Amino acid sequence: MSDNTNKSYVLKPGTLLDIQNLSMRFGGLTAVNNLSFDIKENEIFGLIGPNGAGKTTVFNCITQFYKDKDGIIIFNNKKNEIINLNDIHVEKIIKEGLVRTFQNVELIKDLSVIDNLLIGAHTLFKSDFIGHIFRSKRASEEETFYKAKALEILKFMKIDYLKDQYVAGQPYGILKKIGIARTLMSNPKLIILDEPAAGLNETETTELSKLMIQIKENYKCSILLVEHDMGFVMGVCDRICAINFGKFLALGTPDYIKRHPDVQEAYLGRDDE
Amino acid sequence: MKKVLSYFNKITIYIKDSFRRMVSAVKTDAMYRRFVYLFVGLNVILLLSELDIMNYSTVSLYAYIIIFTIVALGLNILLGFSGLMSLGTAGFVGFGAYGVVYFETLGFPYEISSLITIVIATFIGLAVGLFSLKVEGVYLAISTLAVGEIFSQIFKRVTWFTNAYGGVHYKYPTLLGFIELDRNMTYIFLSFVMVVMMVVMYHLTKSKTGRALLAMSRSNSSAQAMGVSISKYRLFSFVVAILYATIGGILYASFYRYVQPLDWNLMLTLLILAMVVVGGMKSIFGTFLGVFIIYGIPKLYLEDLFSSVSGVAYLFSGILIIVVVMFYPYGMIHVTHDIKKLYNKYKIHKQNKLKAGDGDE
Amino acid sequence: MSVFLQLLFRSLETGSVFALASLGIVLIYRTSKTTNFAQGSIGTLNAFVAATLLMKWGWSIWAVVPAAMVTAIITGFIIDTVFIRPANKVGNIGKQIITLGLIIVIIGIIPWLFGVEPIPLPQFIPYSPTTTITILGATIGYNSFFTIGMSLLLMGAVFLFIQFTDWGLAIRVTASNEITSRLMGVPTKSVTMISWATAATFGTLAAIIVAPQTQVDINMMGSIQVSAFFACVLGGFQTFYGPVIGAYIIAFSSNMAAYYLPPTWSVWSTVIVYVLILVFLFFKPVGIIGKKLVRKV
Ligand SMILES: Nc1ncnc2c1ncn2[C@@H]1O[C@H](COP(=O)(O)OP(=O)(O)OP(=O)(O)O)[C@@H](O)[C@H]1O
Ligand SMILES: [Mg+2]
Repeated sequence: MSDNTNKSYVLKPGTLLDIQNLSMRFGGLTAVNNLSFDIKENEIFGLIGPNGAGKTTVFNCITQFYKDKDGIIIFNNKKNEIINLNDIHVEKIIKEGLVRTFQNVELIKDLSVIDNLLIGAHTLFKSDFIGHIFRSKRASEEETFYKAKALEILKFMKIDYLKDQYVAGQPYGILKKIGIARTLMSNPKLIILDEPAAGLNETETTELSKLMIQIKENYKCSILLVEHDMGFVMGVCDRICAINFGKFLALGTPDYIKRHPDVQEAYLGRDDE
Repeated sequence: MKKVLSYFNKITIYIKDSFRRMVSAVKTDAMYRRFVYLFVGLNVILLLSELDIMNYSTVSLYAYIIIFTIVALGLNILLGFSGLMSLGTAGFVGFGAYGVVYFETLGFPYEISSLITIVIATFIGLAVGLFSLKVEGVYLAISTLAVGEIFSQIFKRVTWFTNAYGGVHYKYPTLLGFIELDRNMTYIFLSFVMVVMMVVMYHLTKSKTGRALLAMSRSNSSAQAMGVSISKYRLFSFVVAILYATIGGILYASFYRYVQPLDWNLMLTLLILAMVVVGGMKSIFGTFLGVFIIYGIPKLYLEDLFSSVSGVAYLFSGILIIVVVMFYPYGMIHVTHDIKKLYNKYKIHKQNKLKAGDGDE
Repeated sequence: MSVFLQLLFRSLETGSVFALASLGIVLIYRTSKTTNFAQGSIGTLNAFVAATLLMKWGWSIWAVVPAAMVTAIITGFIIDTVFIRPANKVGNIGKQIITLGLIIVIIGIIPWLFGVEPIPLPQFIPYSPTTTITILGATIGYNSFFTIGMSLLLMGAVFLFIQFTDWGLAIRVTASNEITSRLMGVPTKSVTMISWATAATFGTLAAIIVAPQTQVDINMMGSIQVSAFFACVLGGFQTFYGPVIGAYIIAFSSNMAAYYLPPTWSVWSTVIVYVLILVFLFFKPVGIIGKKLVRKV
């Protein structure tokens, strides 16, 4: 670990994230098996695969929730340094410019929508608890500043009318939106979304597709997403990587992936299903 | 020397500044106004008792409520915000009470004795917090239970510190070396400290810190992904909870002027827990209400009514805590809220009816 | 040697008390997914039943113990059906708080039902020269043999039951995953009820065994309960036998410490054992038997 930090890594120009030979095992089960792919700057990238293919596990590896894994994950961070994410603690990942959502939303139900967004800006706050106890000038100014920012994002997502309502009791589609809005608070370079369209109805999904592209353009970031809704994935992604049983199947444009025999087989099965 | 002075200057400016903003906030933020009302209300009780409209002992009862509100606020931060269970609260209150007495017998003035006690408590809090980084869930809850047990053994056995079963006597505090407080002044002092501790909690919880605590307890992984350092905030919550408990203990010794070892047992811890749960998790005024319900109501009403039946206070608290957890998880502080809601509904209903009536005519 | 033997027997006896209590705790923990902090209080409550029947109604010890077992089973059923099962939605800490609330309720109810005076309860086999046996210079009462034997037998029966019967299988699968088990048709409701009843009887038995050392009173199970919980964390909550092993270790080490340490230290024997266990936990946070699982995100 320690000698890794001094190593310098390289990334091709225009590449944001490069995963090389990633493997992750749980006991006897190899959830991710020697997987490699890269994500370009300003790109929407889809990771697809049947249930249990290991998609969430890949996300957890990138964001360092799992420690004992093989392979390296190179990232061009906020300061334009090329780093290996494996050297970064899970709680510091967001500072590098990488932020994620969770498959099962994971918002704070007993906080208002806007306060949930402010948690996304946690690492941007400079004041400490002494400042908070005395409500120092800086602490209050920061609070106002990030509240304004949160409101702006909520407006962008067209849910600013909900800002002071509690998260508990909001419909699922709204929860998903709040989750995405929260990621935008940290000025990310790469947003990782785990099944953003799951549980949404058709109109909501169409709206989300538009939103993805708007986010990419307005916030100048890349998006890595996992989704089972093929229409959605094919519609918004610039490139897609398909995996099955943790192994690489194919990588390319939506059209290429659609026609790829291995992908079709993985989804439709051969004779045994 | 100059550096120290400039630093000192900075601090005074800082405090002045935040004070000024607080004063202006009293005008705009309803919460601050409520703090002021509570302070005034508590002191009206003192006045009433001086005027013999209320019992002399009522003041003593409210002092207890004030002290345990502070203690329960700390537990509320730990349990309500950070989702961590501690079963050692009573031990820390006891430590605060014995600590201030002990250091004053060593010749330190009140403020310094309190400060030393608080500093030691901070270190104990850090130790418990560090422990909590490795040990989780039930294992942690049971460990705090053991910490409480260790404290109670210390109170019973370490004679130089606690005078064992004899207990230790104390006096009303002397502030700044010359302001000798009497019973009433001590009571005012207590209520002032309580309101300050409430404001501190209010500020803390309505800030990045409070949000981080909530994020941590509601979803560990999501908090980590947002950059919340779990270890930092766990340590923080334990230290804060233990500090509140210790300050409560110091005030206990200051008002009641006698500390004895058997008071700081698991039962007290459980009652403090009941105060938090029954009053309302995460709620500052709920905590006060909880202490009033669990301690005040039995003392003021039940024990007279049911003087023939012992244990009725416990029965009351125990049933209340269970009922609240099962059916009213936001605590009794929400009753007012719910009544308001009902009332509003009723009003709207009535207005609609009126409108409908208008249409008929 | 004789001293050691004496200590060994004493440890086996206190260890059995801790073990009975902690086996109950872990049974409930695994099937109801909550820590029953009221384990000791439930024992105390039913020990009061036994003591009252014996002292005030004149029943013999051999009659009051089964009677207390029956009331213990009823207590367990009531707690499970009235409080724990309906509270499934309130979350883990909520359920823990309910059991903590139960402690307060029981402490409130005891003086109401049984009065405020402590009640003595005799041993199963009263200690007298004719009821002792001397082995290698150590004098051991028949009662010790009886209580140790009974505890071991009962716990053995529970392990056999869990390991080899259909109901035991149901307990094990409920312990590993309640929701799946319920979907698979395991009667999880009855399983938790059995667990609560068993836990309550074990807690009661523990209380009845220690009662003769002092008297039956509200605080009798205080430190025993803490030791039982410590036995659980020491042995780990992940197996049924871990806490039992933990219980005997705690009993043995605190008895040894109390005897072999110099007098100024020996009063601290329990504290020393607690501190040692805390230190141990710091390095092995899930107990002797138990491994840390990879958290699913
Ligand atoms: N913490 C863990 N411990 C053990 N096994 C795990 C863990 N996390 C995931 N797995 C296993 O790894 C495999 C891949 O799981 P993963 O959640 O990554 O799949 P997925 O592609 O996200 O599936 P889905 O589309 O259903 O979300 C599965 O077989 C799962 O059971
Ligand atoms: Mg997944």
